[in-house]
Amino acid sequence: MAGGSTTTVGHSYPRMEGRAKVTGRAEYIYNMRLPSMLHAKVHRSPISHGRILSIDTSEASAMPGVHHVITGEDVKKVLPEPYYGPAFHDQPILALDKVRHFGEPVAVVLATDPHIAETAAQRIVVDYEELPAVFDEVEALTSDVIVHEELKPAGTFADLKHLAGKRDTNIALDYHLQHGDADKAFADAEHVFEHTFRTQQTMHTPFEPMVALADVRNDHATVYSSTQGPSFVRFELARLLGWPESNVRIKTAHLGGGFGAKVYVKVEALAMALSLIAHRPVRVALTMEEQFYTITKHPSTFRIQSAVDKDGKVIGRKCEVWWNGGAYADIGPRVTQKSGFTAAGPYDIDNVAIDSYALYTNRPPAGALRGFGIPQLVWAYESHTDIIARELGIDPIAFRKQNILRNGRPQAVGTIVKDGEFEAVLDGVAERMNWNRPFDKGSGTKLRGRGVGLGFKASISPTTSSAIVSVNADGSCIVYCSTVDMGQGSDTAMAQIASEVLDIPIEKIRVVNPDTDVTPYDMSTLGSRSTFHMGHAVRLAAGDARDKLHAMAEEVGMPEGSNAPLPELFIRKFGMRAGAIVGSANYIPEFSPPNYDTGQSTNATPFWMIGATGAEVEVDTETGQLTILRLVNVCDIGTPINPIVVETQISGAAVMQLGFTLTENMVIENGQLTNPSLADYKIPGFFDMPDTMENGYIDAVQENGPFGAKGAGESGTFGVSPAIANAIDDAVGVRISEMPITAEAVFRALREKQGKPLEEN
Amino acid sequence: MSPFELSEPQTLQDAVAMLDASDTGIRPIAGGTAVMLMMKTGIFQPDRLISLRGIESRYSEVSVDDAGDLHIGAMTPLRRLEKSEEAAQAAPVIRRALRRLSNVRVRNVATLGGHLAHGDPHLDLPPVLIALGARALIVGASGERVIEIEDLFRGYLETALAPDELIAEVVVPAQGTRRATYMKHTTRSADDWPALGIAVSLELNGDEVGSARVAIGAATDTPRRLKSVEAALAGKALADETMQAAGDAAAAEAEVHSDARGSAAYKRELIRVFTRRAVRQIMEMGTGGAV
Repeated sequence: MAGGSTTTVGHSYPRMEGRAKVTGRAEYIYNMRLPSMLHAKVHRSPISHGRILSIDTSEASAMPGVHHVITGEDVKKVLPEPYYGPAFHDQPILALDKVRHFGEPVAVVLATDPHIAETAAQRIVVDYEELPAVFDEVEALTSDVIVHEELKPAGTFADLKHLAGKRDTNIALDYHLQHGDADKAFADAEHVFEHTFRTQQTMHTPFEPMVALADVRNDHATVYSSTQGPSFVRFELARLLGWPESNVRIKTAHLGGGFGAKVYVKVEALAMALSLIAHRPVRVALTMEEQFYTITKHPSTFRIQSAVDKDGKVIGRKCEVWWNGGAYADIGPRVTQKSGFTAAGPYDIDNVAIDSYALYTNRPPAGALRGFGIPQLVWAYESHTDIIARELGIDPIAFRKQNILRNGRPQAVGTIVKDGEFEAVLDGVAERMNWNRPFDKGSGTKLRGRGVGLGFKASISPTTSSAIVSVNADGSCIVYCSTVDMGQGSDTAMAQIASEVLDIPIEKIRVVNPDTDVTPYDMSTLGSRSTFHMGHAVRLAAGDARDKLHAMAEEVGMPEGSNAPLPELFIRKFGMRAGAIVGSANYIPEFSPPNYDTGQSTNATPFWMIGATGAEVEVDTETGQLTILRLVNVCDIGTPINPIVVETQISGAAVMQLGFTLTENMVIENGQLTNPSLADYKIPGFFDMPDTMENGYIDAVQENGPFGAKGAGESGTFGVSPAIANAIDDAVGVRISEMPITAEAVFRALREKQGKPLEEN
Repeated sequence: MSPFELSEPQTLQDAVAMLDASDTGIRPIAGGTAVMLMMKTGIFQPDRLISLRGIESRYSEVSVDDAGDLHIGAMTPLRRLEKSEEAAQAAPVIRRALRRLSNVRVRNVATLGGHLAHGDPHLDLPPVLIALGARALIVGASGERVIEIEDLFRGYLETALAPDELIAEVVVPAQGTRRATYMKHTTRSADDWPALGIAVSLELNGDEVGSARVAIGAATDTPRRLKSVEAALAGKALADETMQAAGDAAAAEAEVHSDARGSAAYKRELIRVFTRRAVRQIMEMGTGGAV
């Protein structure tokens, strides 16, 4: 299906919503108000772990303008099992008996005036018995501090069916992979290397914070939410209410960013419960600050070991990865598994052992964030790979190419790689960086270096997308799908696909905002799955409509291949401009579940996402300050549906990862988050951009993808962090193994190397 | 953020009259960039804000008097000061420092008076103005007084201003042949508050330093002069050893603490490096008049 000439697909159409956004006319849920609604403000736990002894709401309730003060016990009266979560039903709508992380919602004030609600929320008094807390993922593995007394698997997803209920452990999921015989490889090795790398806790920072407005009346609930996954939210709210899904309606609009923060249930269950209790519409709108307490990116520790033979071939790799999932599992177990099986890197290694653990701690929950655990892994395996190359005296790119995974070879999970252009992506970076030409290493106190990083990701599988395409009697067309456009340009891509299949100009195509009463099921907008999965569903639905149009043309006696305009066809059939032709389709790719003991699967993913970054940096040796002179990002995204959107996706992903690499860090001291605001949690600004940045993709075709395409939303994140660390090593000979890479960390490493370590304070 | 009353006096005198030294719930607001952050986080919950935006326009003007002194109205937005040719002529270091002060959105609304009266040590202009020998004209219920900028800062978010006093104007004396520079270092994003700001102003006699004024900001509790550095420079040849000595003196004199922007040990090294670099930069400016 790939290749051939296309008229709409493959062209850089401007984004359908672009004009409305830049002129301030686009609709966002955060700006929405409902008649007679109440504003909710959350009272949050100031401690990380403790038993709730009592909650005194009297002063808050007495404030004029306060309608309700609601606690977890109040929620329990209307929803007997008020726990939610995609992997475990472990997260209470409001805390019950215990709090497990600072910032956890404990009670809510409802008022007509949000300022009154906020003031009253501060007047709620909670008495806690504080318990010891655990914050570090490695400690959590053996800690006496148990975050959850009992684990309750949700059993929702096909790929997480094996989750078991366990007692007295912080391990939400352990994933193990055995490929070949790693122990034997290490025994046979000429060289053995071992390193440990760590990453910090960060946050998605969507500029439209999480928001939900719920209106529960009689036996029907409508929730307006800035969510990436309306179908899942419907499923979960219906489950909590014990209602059919047809009685729960989730509506979205354009999202002001998502990045994985808005997948699964975030504030929707709370808004629904509050409306159920108050019998009025309720708006739960988080502030930027509150998002830090809601969902984050996993901190991680990764111990990686390699066995290398005398020729520089990596013959064995052992990976132990600990994922800090925070107090509630969210989708962390899937991160542990899906990302876990690529932990040995994009290399053809015969003997691999992987142990990957999702751990509960007393931090805010961690979930999906652009890359779904992959950037944490690439940080480790590409730093490690670079160190090996340098120690063996082999050029870092030559060493990678010697070991690289190629099509037709099995990845460690046991799946034969197809349409995975690892080497071409690496070559693409090397070429743009003029890797084989001499490089100016700088002089004096300004030294320069360069480095690369190559990473990859399997798509989440198996997941389903459904779509409906309706052709109107005037020849225009409406696409109904639950893919959420959160800035990634999916509406434009889906319109292009429908336009291509139906030969209807894109200007006449409308893509409906997801509304679960209107748009059919989609697993969620996450993991760069939409172009592939929903792209297929829309392609098939449009094909279904096209076939029906052909049949109708035949029925009304139009000659085959007639180019009569569509309105004429409808008039011939219905006698006037009337009727609609509706096509529909479900799409689910093939999948083989992994064996629990070995982790092996013959078909673990419908496609591989591949991204590499090359960085040129300059280090000020007197301060450790880093300048990114050049950042080159090259990905394998198959054949693009919309080239310009793909390029901006790659650059956006790389810049986001640049922030996680250099500046972003949730600092926790004495069990408190010290910087929950953009004043002190620093995302990159314009002056932090690399002096030069190039983003591109290689010529490639994903044979089983819609028009040769595959996902492109995350690949730009993969290689950024290790490319920078490797470039620093190249420049000044020091190795940073913990993110973020601050100027002080570089300076301290330089002083260490000079034998003059800087004192702690 | 809690609701509050907003008063909008049309004259400076009226604004001063609305302030009440005994009521901490009443505070002035100029650009609001700092106050609004404090209100958002709940650190500060005013009953009434006295907006200074409506006061006489002369408090938003920049001019040079016959003596060559630069007068900057306290309500002058930082962006206007950055664009001011008068200021750039009188003391080019002001414009250069402003270009990297926070971001243009903040500079468009933040005012010089607010920038100083806030008393946050992590701001850029206090060390610059101290090095330039600037003074502030202060208006209060009991009349006017003049205070050297170096005497304005008393502690973290504490100034010599009484609660019912306002800064009306800042005066930068004519710089003659002195040359000044400002170096800042941010350790997180580029537009972060600085971890360190160093301002150096030198009078050069040929290849020798005549007199020096050196001020530090951000790394210390308050912006302040570093007198041991000034002593290490005065009368010395403009040579590598002098710059080195100035850097070492700065690192030894400045009292620094660890915070989110860096450890104290790291900041001491930054002070050493940037003091040296600042002096070198002035030397490399050549002898072509005031810069």
